[in-house]
Amino acid sequence: MRKRITLLSVPVLSLAIFLGLYFFDNAESSNKGPVQPVRFSHKIHAGAENDQIPCQYCHSFVDVSPNPGIPSVKKCMGCHTHIAGRDVEYDFGGTTINLQQEIAKVREYWAKKEPIPWNKVNTMPGYVHFNHKRHIKRGIECAACHGDVANMDQVYQVTRLNMGFCITCHTENAKDHEELTHLKDCLTCHY
Amino acid sequence: MSQDKKGGIKRRDFLKIIGVAGGTAAVAGACSNPAEQIIPYVIPPEGIIPGVPNWYASTCRECPAGCGIIVKNREGRAIKVEGNPKSPINMGGSCAEGQAMLQGLYNPDRTRSPLVRNDLGRLEPRGWDDAQKILTEKIEEARKKGGSGRIVFLSDHNEGTLGNLIGDWMSALGGKHLTYEAYSYEPLKEANRIVFGIDKIPTYNIDKTKYLLSFGADFIETWLSPTLYTRQFSEMHGYKDKSMGKFVHVEPRAGLTGVNADEWVSIKPGTEAVLALGIASVIVNEGMSVNGGGGFEGLLGAYTPEKVSSVTDVPVDTIKEIAKEFSSMQPSLAIGGGIANTSTNATETLVAINILNYVAGNVGRTIDFGNSLTLSGVSTFKEITSLVDSMSNGEVDLLFIYNVNPVFTLPKSLGFEDALGKVPYVVSFSSFMDETTEKANLILPDNTTLESWGDFIPDGRVHGLIQPVMTPVFNTKSTGDVILAVTAGLEGLKGRYTQVSYYDYLRDSWKQVWTGVPGGGDFEAFWNSALENGGFYSDVTPVQVSASGNMSGISFGEPEFTGDGDFYFMAYPSYKYYDGRGANKPWLQELPDAITTGVWDSWVEIHPDTAKKLGVKLGDFVKLESPYGTIETQAYVYEGIRPDTVAVMIGQGHTSYGRYAKDRGVNPLSILPVSTDKITGSFAWLTTKVKASGTGRHSQFVQTQYTTTQHDRDVAQVVTLTELEHGLHHEEHEEPDFYPPVEYDRYHWGMSIDLQKCTGCGACITACYAENNIPFVGKELVAKRRDMAWLRIDRFFEKSDNKAGFETRFLPMLCQQCNNAPCEPVCPVFATYHNPEGLNGMIYNRCVGTRYCSNNCTYSVRKFNWFTYKLPDPLNWQFNPDVTVRDKGVMEKCTFCVQRIIYAKDQARDKGRDVLDGEFQVACQQSCASGAIEFGNLKDPESRVAKLSHDERGYRVLNQLNTKPNITYLKKVKWDKA
Repeated sequence: MRKRITLLSVPVLSLAIFLGLYFFDNAESSNKGPVQPVRFSHKIHAGAENDQIPCQYCHSFVDVSPNPGIPSVKKCMGCHTHIAGRDVEYDFGGTTINLQQEIAKVREYWAKKEPIPWNKVNTMPGYVHFNHKRHIKRGIECAACHGDVANMDQVYQVTRLNMGFCITCHTENAKDHEELTHLKDCLTCHY
Repeated sequence: MSQDKKGGIKRRDFLKIIGVAGGTAAVAGACSNPAEQIIPYVIPPEGIIPGVPNWYASTCRECPAGCGIIVKNREGRAIKVEGNPKSPINMGGSCAEGQAMLQGLYNPDRTRSPLVRNDLGRLEPRGWDDAQKILTEKIEEARKKGGSGRIVFLSDHNEGTLGNLIGDWMSALGGKHLTYEAYSYEPLKEANRIVFGIDKIPTYNIDKTKYLLSFGADFIETWLSPTLYTRQFSEMHGYKDKSMGKFVHVEPRAGLTGVNADEWVSIKPGTEAVLALGIASVIVNEGMSVNGGGGFEGLLGAYTPEKVSSVTDVPVDTIKEIAKEFSSMQPSLAIGGGIANTSTNATETLVAINILNYVAGNVGRTIDFGNSLTLSGVSTFKEITSLVDSMSNGEVDLLFIYNVNPVFTLPKSLGFEDALGKVPYVVSFSSFMDETTEKANLILPDNTTLESWGDFIPDGRVHGLIQPVMTPVFNTKSTGDVILAVTAGLEGLKGRYTQVSYYDYLRDSWKQVWTGVPGGGDFEAFWNSALENGGFYSDVTPVQVSASGNMSGISFGEPEFTGDGDFYFMAYPSYKYYDGRGANKPWLQELPDAITTGVWDSWVEIHPDTAKKLGVKLGDFVKLESPYGTIETQAYVYEGIRPDTVAVMIGQGHTSYGRYAKDRGVNPLSILPVSTDKITGSFAWLTTKVKASGTGRHSQFVQTQYTTTQHDRDVAQVVTLTELEHGLHHEEHEEPDFYPPVEYDRYHWGMSIDLQKCTGCGACITACYAENNIPFVGKELVAKRRDMAWLRIDRFFEKSDNKAGFETRFLPMLCQQCNNAPCEPVCPVFATYHNPEGLNGMIYNRCVGTRYCSNNCTYSVRKFNWFTYKLPDPLNWQFNPDVTVRDKGVMEKCTFCVQRIIYAKDQARDKGRDVLDGEFQVACQQSCASGAIEFGNLKDPESRVAKLSHDERGYRVLNQLNTKPNITYLKKVKWDKA
């Protein structure tokens, strides 16, 4: 009997680890997502109570290219040459940061003429070809896939962006049968 | 769960536990955050949008033809080369070599920084400032010795700004500039001087001819401007309005050009002059000459068909037939000048061909001296040999080598390599460690064409502009810049060039082009339009010439051969490697030779009778022995070569030049003597007789197609011209089918391939490799039939009643995108399926690699990844980011360049309309110089492809199997009337 328990304990323990990791990974916390080299707060830049910069000001290729584009360091400096930030503590989703120090990091990258190595938050495998332009031109909100980024300090992945997510939306929003056929066609994204 | 007596756990339980634990670990691992980074630009470059391609026009420098190219750039990297539709030379087409220039740019064996030979004799990397300082010192040293011509700059044919700069620099240094091309066509030039008084290589208007007679001119392969002439040939030889031109090729061997001929006439090597005069004689004697013989009657009188036949081995009837057709099917054209007729009497041969053209009235109609090739201006072989002499005698102190590899491309017996050792200081500008460069004292690697500013003038019409399409991959520097920088540090020459960079120098030089243009407008506008169009194109007025009948001094003698072997030895230029420069590009190595389908190696072509006599068969090693050396290579038994001739391709047999070229095959130039054409003194290639014998060794001859026949399946169909004239009984009816036909709403993609136009050149195959990230696998895996080409060209030799006794048919074979596809129902995971636009989709990430589809494919076009093929850095920079790079265990195949279809649809939707016919091209179609491939929407009845799908010549391969392919082949047309 004791041996039987030993034997059973392995799968039970495995299951416990699995569930633990699963809920940990999916738990709601504003501090999820990869830690970035600069604690850039989307909430400050785009948030409703803050600067309200439109997404496309920085992600400017989103309606002309499959890739949305991320801002160059030069673009950051377009504002931060003038805005040094307040020397205050800021609650960055549970972590305390100093705004001025974070902006100083950006200025340092600029001074060294080095790119900021951002960590990718939303990622797709190489065999998926997602076209941002088509979705934006169709009037799909950024938030439909990326969540309420404007209220996040550290950005995290809101949806798993798996195929079921794509297909559900495609099925619900297709204009007619013809469009649905194309939106469900594998070759639309996989080639 | 149970336990055995000893305690512990049983195998079965162990596996269960491992299964659960492993699964947990995998799930937990998959949930973790991705570690990828996104690196932004610090300062965004102007005009680059990540994800959107930019195209830059430039000029190809892979051979002296100077075709226009446009290069696709994604996020700062060149990923695809295509022919520039605006260039009057290639008009959008390209060749395999042009497609593969990216593998020169990203070649892992490129020289990555300047190298200096140290005291121990080893090459060590240096910075540019150091290297230039050393160069300056060496130049000053050589100048101090005094005397002229002690500094020599040996470059390739480089007509344009750089050529002028080098020339000017050399005159400032008291040196001389020689331009060396392995294939220089000196006899062609000289023959034109003798007959027409013009010392030039003209342009030929093959497209305007009805009858083309080629004496060894391999115009589909390497002759003068292969892409131009392939395009023109397709115009002339393509079937339209119930007629087409006829092409007769005379050569001891039927190469790629020869097998495209309606008639291949096998001739005794070196006797082409006699045949040309014999044909001209018949034309004059039978009163068919437009100018009554033009003063050549006396000369031609002696060449009766019977006498000519006995010298040339060409039957009397054939001579008379050619004469009749040549004069009746006007305008006609005779061309010559390939390696095949460079015997010791090469100039005489070309004089004879000129006479033939003249008596038939072709000069001025199909030969244009107004637009002559700048290739006419390259240094003669005599100048090269005298350079070798002065190098051996210690008369050269400083030698510059630019874009040439004479150690490899000159016959070993000339002794260039030894002479090089006697030159105190050798500077090479090559970006590749070739046989000549590895002997240099200083290497200053130049940028490749795709990284440099420059220009090239191939002929009278075209000023091709070269612009960098990306920043240099390695620490290389443009040679023009090196010259300007070094000159500024030389005594007394400081102010010679006012420009700081070669770019400024180039622009200043183009200001002269601009001043010459009537109504040129503003220079900036002119320059920008040249950049956009790939250069400046103008028209040239044709020059009328007349022949002088004075042929005194021309004897039309017998060719001379050295060596006492039984076989004429033909070293022929390769359409893949040209003079050997293409051998370091794996795409070209893996591109199957059109005739043998051999890859990654050399072979000797031997007639079946000869093979029997020698006791050798396919794959046996044969020893070829001349008084100058011996080579051993595998036999390819081929009926398209004379029994008294053996042939080996030039281009392989490198002892250096990078991992893909080194120690592969044999170099036929190593057994050639330094024989020359009697009149011009140019190098004569076909002057050796070799002994051939079997060695007893055998190994598998690695090729991609192991059969030469269609096994009665009639997949590559032909129709005769008479049949077409009478009207083909062409009916289309739907076979009864158990299933309803597939319906398409807006798009139904289809293709048509005209077998009459396809020459089998393989440019489409290389274009497909480049576009679709297809891995090359190497010789060992091709031997196991694991090559990955999505598009292959099947070639079949069929018995025929023509003069050669056989005919060659090429059949480009790719996924037929069947409407009733055998591969689809057998896939257990729906990785392959029918798409709503008629494509046979292949979803790589869904594939589990059962290979059932491949097993069931009627056309054998599915390829399986047996391994993950890793490319060495930076070769992988070429990958097309729009196409998934496949891993091992995945099936792959042609999907009609679905990424291009999706891109075109995306662009059309931005404009709020459907994709228009001809708005985009798939990669194979784009590269095809002869326009054999059409692609488009079958749903649109007005599209070209829809019309061709109902063409009377149209058929579907293996139609009887009811696979209902979306590719229509148009039958090859056979000449059957006199």
